[in-house]
Amino acid sequence: MPPNGPHGPNGPNGFLARFLAAQLTRGRIKFWRMFFFAVLAVILVLNLVIANHHPHFGPDAKPFFWPLFGLVVGIVLVIVVKKIIQPLIKKPEDYYGDL
Amino acid sequence: MATSSFLHPSLAFLMMAVLLPFLPGSRRWKWLLLLPPIFAIYAAFNNQPGDHYTLSWLGQTLKLGHVDSLSAIFAQVFAIMSLAGLIYSLHVNDKGQHIAALLYVAGGFGCLLAGDYLSLFAFWELMSLGSTFLVMLNRTRESVLAAFRYFLYHTLGGLILLAGILLRYRLTSSFDFGPISAAGATLPDWLILIGFSVNAAVVPLHAWLPDAYPRGTVTGSVFMCAFTTKTAVYVLARAFPGWEILAIAGTIMAVYGVLFASMENNARRILSYHIVSQVGYMVAGIGVGAAMTINGAAAHAYAHILYKGLLFMGAGAVLYSAGTQRLDELGGLAARLPWVMVLYMVAALSISGAPLFNGFVSKTMTIAGAAEAGRTWVAIGLELAAVGTFISVGLKLPYFAFWGGKPTDYKRELRPIPANMYLGMAILAFMCLLQGVYPEVLYRYLPFPEVAHEYHPWTAFNVLQASSLLGFAGLAFYLLRKVITPHKALNLDFDLFYRLIGRAVLFFVCRPLAFFDNLWTNVYNVIGLRILRGLGSLTSIFDRKVIDGVVDGSAKGVRFIGWVGALAQSGRLQRYLGLAVILAFAIFLVYCLYGSFIGVAMEKTN
Repeated sequence: MPPNGPHGPNGPNGFLARFLAAQLTRGRIKFWRMFFFAVLAVILVLNLVIANHHPHFGPDAKPFFWPLFGLVVGIVLVIVVKKIIQPLIKKPEDYYGDL
Repeated sequence: MATSSFLHPSLAFLMMAVLLPFLPGSRRWKWLLLLPPIFAIYAAFNNQPGDHYTLSWLGQTLKLGHVDSLSAIFAQVFAIMSLAGLIYSLHVNDKGQHIAALLYVAGGFGCLLAGDYLSLFAFWELMSLGSTFLVMLNRTRESVLAAFRYFLYHTLGGLILLAGILLRYRLTSSFDFGPISAAGATLPDWLILIGFSVNAAVVPLHAWLPDAYPRGTVTGSVFMCAFTTKTAVYVLARAFPGWEILAIAGTIMAVYGVLFASMENNARRILSYHIVSQVGYMVAGIGVGAAMTINGAAAHAYAHILYKGLLFMGAGAVLYSAGTQRLDELGGLAARLPWVMVLYMVAALSISGAPLFNGFVSKTMTIAGAAEAGRTWVAIGLELAAVGTFISVGLKLPYFAFWGGKPTDYKRELRPIPANMYLGMAILAFMCLLQGVYPEVLYRYLPFPEVAHEYHPWTAFNVLQASSLLGFAGLAFYLLRKVITPHKALNLDFDLFYRLIGRAVLFFVCRPLAFFDNLWTNVYNVIGLRILRGLGSLTSIFDRKVIDGVVDGSAKGVRFIGWVGALAQSGRLQRYLGLAVILAFAIFLVYCLYGSFIGVAMEKTN
């Protein structure tokens, strides 16, 4: 069976393709969003249960350090890059001609 | 000198590159392409430590086959990657592309196994030539120009390296390639460091990488993303472990690459900036110089070659199928290219250091090693880069390429992706998972295996820490997905300065040269030609009276040589490069044959 044929594993009727196509309805998107938040909640609870016995630099011994680090760094990074750095260095795509 | 326990992988790749143009048939020769990587895998796992293929040349001992724990682990992953890469490119009918890839990989193995600076330099340049062709053979005007810039830049880097090597020889009377102590480093050492840093894409010498790699052929960039920078990591680890400046440079690279990747729109350019970032982890590990961080650098190089190869394969498959690599033009493809998406995500989770994938067991080793060595800021910088990595490669790129908030795009015509491309990706995906789940398969080959076993990635807290970091970085992406949406733009990088320097050189060197050239042409036309004509008429008399009829054949010979010479001097860069490679080949083969001949002769006398 050719992998790209209509019934091949990579074709529109393959089980993965059908599954992925079915996830784009409003209801399914909502389900996946709730699933994601549930996972985050579990991670937060586990932060209380599992302690860091080998902190590298002090504050990381406290619970919730790494979730906070991920969130804050992520937000700051995206905003700094897209709102501050890129406007300064952005040029049209043909800035160097076709070179 | 036990030649029997050593096989040089480059030999197989070089021989295949020489044979390939003469192989007939349209398809069947392709299967032969798999022989060199299989030979290389066998060699990488069976070569005995020691110095092999040693040759005396100009009073120096050249070591073409230096095997120790550091070169062995790199040779292994190079061999595996060359197999996956050649499988991925089996559908390509253009022999030129295969020859370029074979030469390039041969150069990579040659660098890994070089025990002295001279042979290192020869293979270093072979890599640079092979990779130039991998960009150029994409055969668009954009690619050819990018290849030209790439070649100029790497030639410059190579010349700086050569200057360092030769000056170092004047000081130490030796080409030995070994660790250089940071205390008491001299100018030649710094020149060598700069030459290596060009290939390692150390910021600010990195801009060639995101310039050239997105413009290479779909399959060529897969090879390039694996070998050039990792060869540079290897030579840095061999020559400059514990150099403070590398710890700083590596941390800057890790963060810098992530910042640029977060604003890019071109998929393979995002991945290119992430090479800068990921190589930063390795350079930082080498700079810290503890056994654990050198292990971490080697482990990360191993893991990185596998997942970065897979990332470039995935992005290449999208480009091959959809015809574009710009994220703003993609989206809604998850259900159209489901397996490409899944295989890409394996690599994306690996590079992000998610548990179960190999980045988790290699990245954490470097970070933990840096923290334990008291280098808190290095460790924090690398953690910071890890968040950015997940956001840009793990979320942004796949989200906008495969979903982008758009419905499934059934209208777009997709070019079917050949099965061999899937197979190449599947091999690497399997390796990424295998190493993530069983770190032992990676750790046992590390340069300091006794230290490697003291580190345990799979603790409850490490898993929780990685999940916390990635989960909440994911939340940040979810909240800001409208802000990070990529748009068409060119983001200025250090290549702006390269171009300015290039123009300044043109202005200050070429214009005066052109002036003198014109002047000389005029002088020649006025004076030189007359003298030559006079001489010509004299010799023609001599010729008619004396020589005619005696050596008529020689004229034909001269004409033939002139014709060959004119063919060679076409003024086309690719032809000069090709000739240089053929010459280098011939010399290498003669040396290898000579070496094995001497080896056999010595064994017989023993």
